[in-house]
Amino acid sequence: MGSSSIRDILTSFSPSLDYFAICSGDARIKIWDVLKGQIQTEFADIASTETTSLFTSKPERGHISVDYTCMKWLSLDRKKKRKLGSSLLVLGTGSGDVLALDVSAGQLKWRISDCHPGGVSAISIATHGSCVYSAGADGMVCEIDPLTGNLIGKFRASTKGISCMAVSSDGKVLATAAGQMKTFNCSDHKKIQKFSGHPGAVRFMMFTEDGKYILSSAVGERYIALWRTDGDKKQSASCVLAMEHPAVFIDGRCIDNEEVDEAGLYVFAISETGVCYFWHGRNIEELRSTKATKISLSSENNKSKNQKSVLPAIFAAKLQGIAKPASVHAFIAFGLLVKPSFQKLVVQSGTDITLSSSQDGVLLPMSQSLVKSKKGLHGPTRVTALDRANAEDALLPLPKILDVHGKKNRHQNSGDLDVVMADLADSKSQDDTVEVEADSEAVCMEDRLRSLGMLCNKDDLTSKAALNSTKFNGVDLDANLPEKKIRAAVSSMTPSNASELLEVLVDMWQSRSYSGKQVLPWIYKILVIHGHHFQSQKSLTGMLSSLFKITKSREVAFQPLLQLSGRLQLIMAQIDKASQDKTQISSYDHKMDESEDEDEDVEEHVYGEIDDESQLSSDDDS
Amino acid sequence: MVNMIRGGRSYVSSPPAFSNDAKRLLVCTANTVSIFSTSTALQTSSLEGHTAPVTTVIVVPASSPASNILCYCWTASLDGTIRYWDFSVPELLKTINIKIPIYSMVIPYLLGNEKQPYLFAYVSLKVTREIDSKKHNSGQICKCNLTESRLVGGMTLAETKVPEPITISSSGKYLGITKHQRLSIWKVPDTETERITLKKITLHHTKRMTVHAFHPIQRIVAAGDSTGRILIWRGFGDKTFTSDEGLVSGKIPSNDEEKPGVRDNDDADSCTTWHWHSSEVNVLFFSSDGAYLYSGGKEGVLVVWQLDTGKKKFLPRIGSPLLCYTVSPDTSLSSISCADNQIHLLKMPSLEILKSISGIKFSCSLPEEYESFGSGVAFDHSSALVALRTDNYCVQFYSLFDDLGISEVQVCERNHQPGDDVTVVVTLVALSQDGSIMSTVEVKLAEEGIGGLICLKFWASESQNKKFTLSTIIYEPHRDARISAVAFHPTRRVAVSSSYGGDFKVWVCNDELEQKDVMLQSSGWTCHAVGSYKKKAITAAAFSADGSILAVAAETVITLWDPDKNVLLAVIGETLTPIVTLSFVGKSEFLVAASWGSKPQLSVWTMSKLSVSWSYMLHVEAIACAADLSSFVALALLPELSKCQESIGTNFQGKDGVILLFNATDPVPVATWSARKAKGGALAFLQVNPSSIEDNISDGKLPQALLAYMNGDHEYVLFDPYCEEIHELNVIPQKDLVVPEERRQFGYASIYGELPEFELKRNQTLWVPSVPSEKPWETIFSGSSHNLPPLTKLCSAFLESLLEKRTAAVE
Repeated sequence: MGSSSIRDILTSFSPSLDYFAICSGDARIKIWDVLKGQIQTEFADIASTETTSLFTSKPERGHISVDYTCMKWLSLDRKKKRKLGSSLLVLGTGSGDVLALDVSAGQLKWRISDCHPGGVSAISIATHGSCVYSAGADGMVCEIDPLTGNLIGKFRASTKGISCMAVSSDGKVLATAAGQMKTFNCSDHKKIQKFSGHPGAVRFMMFTEDGKYILSSAVGERYIALWRTDGDKKQSASCVLAMEHPAVFIDGRCIDNEEVDEAGLYVFAISETGVCYFWHGRNIEELRSTKATKISLSSENNKSKNQKSVLPAIFAAKLQGIAKPASVHAFIAFGLLVKPSFQKLVVQSGTDITLSSSQDGVLLPMSQSLVKSKKGLHGPTRVTALDRANAEDALLPLPKILDVHGKKNRHQNSGDLDVVMADLADSKSQDDTVEVEADSEAVCMEDRLRSLGMLCNKDDLTSKAALNSTKFNGVDLDANLPEKKIRAAVSSMTPSNASELLEVLVDMWQSRSYSGKQVLPWIYKILVIHGHHFQSQKSLTGMLSSLFKITKSREVAFQPLLQLSGRLQLIMAQIDKASQDKTQISSYDHKMDESEDEDEDVEEHVYGEIDDESQLSSDDDS
Repeated sequence: MVNMIRGGRSYVSSPPAFSNDAKRLLVCTANTVSIFSTSTALQTSSLEGHTAPVTTVIVVPASSPASNILCYCWTASLDGTIRYWDFSVPELLKTINIKIPIYSMVIPYLLGNEKQPYLFAYVSLKVTREIDSKKHNSGQICKCNLTESRLVGGMTLAETKVPEPITISSSGKYLGITKHQRLSIWKVPDTETERITLKKITLHHTKRMTVHAFHPIQRIVAAGDSTGRILIWRGFGDKTFTSDEGLVSGKIPSNDEEKPGVRDNDDADSCTTWHWHSSEVNVLFFSSDGAYLYSGGKEGVLVVWQLDTGKKKFLPRIGSPLLCYTVSPDTSLSSISCADNQIHLLKMPSLEILKSISGIKFSCSLPEEYESFGSGVAFDHSSALVALRTDNYCVQFYSLFDDLGISEVQVCERNHQPGDDVTVVVTLVALSQDGSIMSTVEVKLAEEGIGGLICLKFWASESQNKKFTLSTIIYEPHRDARISAVAFHPTRRVAVSSSYGGDFKVWVCNDELEQKDVMLQSSGWTCHAVGSYKKKAITAAAFSADGSILAVAAETVITLWDPDKNVLLAVIGETLTPIVTLSFVGKSEFLVAASWGSKPQLSVWTMSKLSVSWSYMLHVEAIACAADLSSFVALALLPELSKCQESIGTNFQGKDGVILLFNATDPVPVATWSARKAKGGALAFLQVNPSSIEDNISDGKLPQALLAYMNGDHEYVLFDPYCEEIHELNVIPQKDLVVPEERRQFGYASIYGELPEFELKRNQTLWVPSVPSEKPWETIFSGSSHNLPPLTKLCSAFLESLLEKRTAAVE
């Protein structure tokens, strides 16, 4: 253990947890501001300045050195916990004095000299009580008024020196330990119970908040003992919690109400090596079998072990409250003595926590500082800097507002618009996918037409037909054959072959895999030459009627398309003119109108493509 | 029920006072006097009782060393009372109500040793008179009989335009006030009765005098002026003051040559001028032995002048303009109050700062154009911290429950000299929901149009200790455009910054991005997406409570985006003036927007109908929404109009704002409180942490949430907005329905009149979806229409897009 032991350190949190007092054996009490993480005040020689005579009689001590043996922080006024003015730091010294410091005023409040000849061993304050108890090596327990420092009462608790003492939070029961633990009634100082089991001197002892259990640990024992206070006169420990090193500090909570979820026993302890242990059990039996949850400091700092320096450790902890079943809020002070860090933790039973301690404010020897500085480089100090150019490249592409699609979509979705909008608040991802799909459909006009049934879905037929068409001798659609050759090819066919070819050609025309320009002459010739054969064949009438329908529909569309093409030509001419002028006279409203126009154009332009074909076909038909 | 928690008070509004043993310092902190221990700089107790800010505290000096332990003091306050306290207990002993706000008070006879039958005080009052049915405020110096608790009638020493502070010499013989370019000095008679006339002289100067001080022994007065000069008149009042004392002054009434530097035949022997300060002198004080003169001003340097020689010694780098200097009875201790709300305790001959009492930092002065919404205050809702910009390029973290500054983060690496011109301003501070990430925006002001730079910085902190380290710095995140708002995603490490330049950017932390990537190297932030709406200035941005929707205000319209895919979901139409803030109301379907300008508006929008639900014509300074409740609070500034109205005027004694608690579904406020100094105020709902407020709960019931209101001076109050009792027993907030009824009707009706119009708009603009572009031609049509390429280019591309699929089908 050596240097890493925190046995000799006295620590105490202020009642409202905003200050932390630490005294490390050199009679210097440092008050740390927990919130800021800075030192607030330092009390170096309060005792010696006021009573020098007393200390000159102790030649073995330095003139400013006082041997503090115990320290407790108490608040005087329950109602104003925030006001530090109402809290005192009570200290006991090895020379038997008890003194109280008014921390906020920075002065000694009161002092009782030679209260316990042989040294004060313990100070205890009941949370709801109004007096301070001190115990010493003389086996006496003193009751002190915290406001004035007057001795109220004194009684003998043990024939031997008392090593530890605790008061229950209601202030009714007092427990002392001098190897053997005893409980007393505070009002009449009568002995209530006797607990035997600790062979050595008890180092730390505390009552749970409800006063039903006492937790204790003794010097050199690697366990915490749990004792019931409501049992027999003589008892042995009802539960023992094992640790790797002896405990220096224990905190515990017990919630007995079975109905509450949080019910159970929560025990918190710090070992000599500065490791925190946490146990939780719903009852004694469960607690007995439970495994400790450990809170330790990260081991990487152990490199400095060979150096003769103090290791970072957890010095103090306070159980703040129960977060949920089997987990607690704990407030801990850890790090190095010269610069402790403070942290609130949620400790869940079963999950170990490793804390990293910072080396802030520590003057390190040369070798170490090198290591540290290297570490610092790899740490979180690395800063990313983005300049103007880097800030520009976004991971996602720019969103583009496509009014065209928007309108189409609206047209499509107008029925269930309100439903979509209602869902919008929740913004289901479903919504988005639907919308994206709709958009991608909208991009290609062909798909849209197909989905609306304006285009036939028989792609396979077309491809098959294309394959077949190559089989037919002399039928080459791509080659722009003269009319005579077409006639010769068609007339050379048998009527049945011709009817098959016609079927393929009609499909091709309808599906527009070939333009009417190429297909129509062939259809025309087939109909002229083999017309009489088709009339006789009943099976072909369906095909013929569909051919008729297509021709008719294209004929109807012809006139408006002609008008449109005229308009388009006009617009193109205007645009050409405008671009020649190179003047951008594009007012906002004008644009808006045009976008509307464009919208229409989209619809009509589809037909515009077929324009030529239908022109052809109608020419042919006529 | 939770008691009100107050804090963030100014420690430097009035000069502090030392107790007789110099172990305590009495500081005027708003309505109370706080007593600090000088050895630890911790507060030990407070004197509570005044109902308005305390302006003067005077400790009754000990007549003999034995009575050093006596702890009595007089206080004067703007509530028009003078009180007498025993501050060791602390206990109120006596109250004198003179019903006129007191700006300053001196009690000469406390300083003299002779016993007087009556104790008189001289007070500087703010008198309000009605002339032509208009209120005129002026200052008056009056005499007050403290023994008989009344003002002495007919004894007005002087009238000033504004109430001036009175100074007194340490012997208690002379009083003085500065009135613009004149310094008036009265001699206090040795034995005073009510009707005795005080002798007065006036000293003149050509500049406005800001401060003056009397020499403790000799008849010397020093005054500082607005240009930084210090004038020292020696032997003032030789003629006037000495004649009745029966002393024959050896001097014959002299002419100007014999009185070097003295103007206008003033009654003084000589006047010398010292000049070191570059701007106005705020602090002037003689040392108790009269050998030194201390002066200080905006530069934040304390100058010690050797009175006889004029030699100077300096205490530089105090870091903030000095406001006042106080000496203690123990000559080895003194204090300086600084403009950054700090009181430094100085060890005297060596001028060494022993301890500092520091409070919340005041709001820093920004150039007009950088005034953003709210006051640049960001709240950490879970740990009840507030992040404030400070003058020295820092962000201060202040714990609201503990009333204590926790840490400071220096935003930009440069030294702050209080006298310098401001070249860099921190314009925005934002904190993520869990308080682990901070974002700051700083603007380097351009000098003659060159060298302006905007930086967006992301900071990360480990654990809750608020030690922020810089994670990412982004130079010119939106080109040259200024950033209007930064908002964080409620759960993820995603932030959005919006700029007046017409775009907003979504930033993600690399942690978020590459969670699976093991080779994670740095946790920097990168730009995730850029969005804009019609190139309009983006004025506000907010994430919804679950983070699935990003609302961005493009001037007057609200656009809703999917922050992940960067897809525009909807556009909600239109307010009258640009929106300055947006906020989702908890998890409900409502969105609150506030706009400023000529037609300010507070409007609540429903997301289910994408239309306005209700609105008020109010100038809203701040909005806060509870995380899981459907209510929100708004801090509204009262219009000038109603402030002048006599009928309401009585309700608003110095109160210029109201806090309105609304349920989002209902335009009638659930509760209202009136507030002081609402301009620059801020509001926030704080999560309730049982351990932090347990000592403030009186009946053991935990409130749902606490509302924090911080006013323009960074004074704050925390209370439970849902608690009925608070409404009745409140102190600052008062339950009075302050929104004038007819105006509300007007605002309400006007909006409902417009409703059809909104419906119309909805049909036009609803459902404007967009997709990330995958095909080249699509981007051509995007963006605002006036940016489109010429139609000749467009047409061919457009036709191509139509033809594309078909040609692909052909082999």
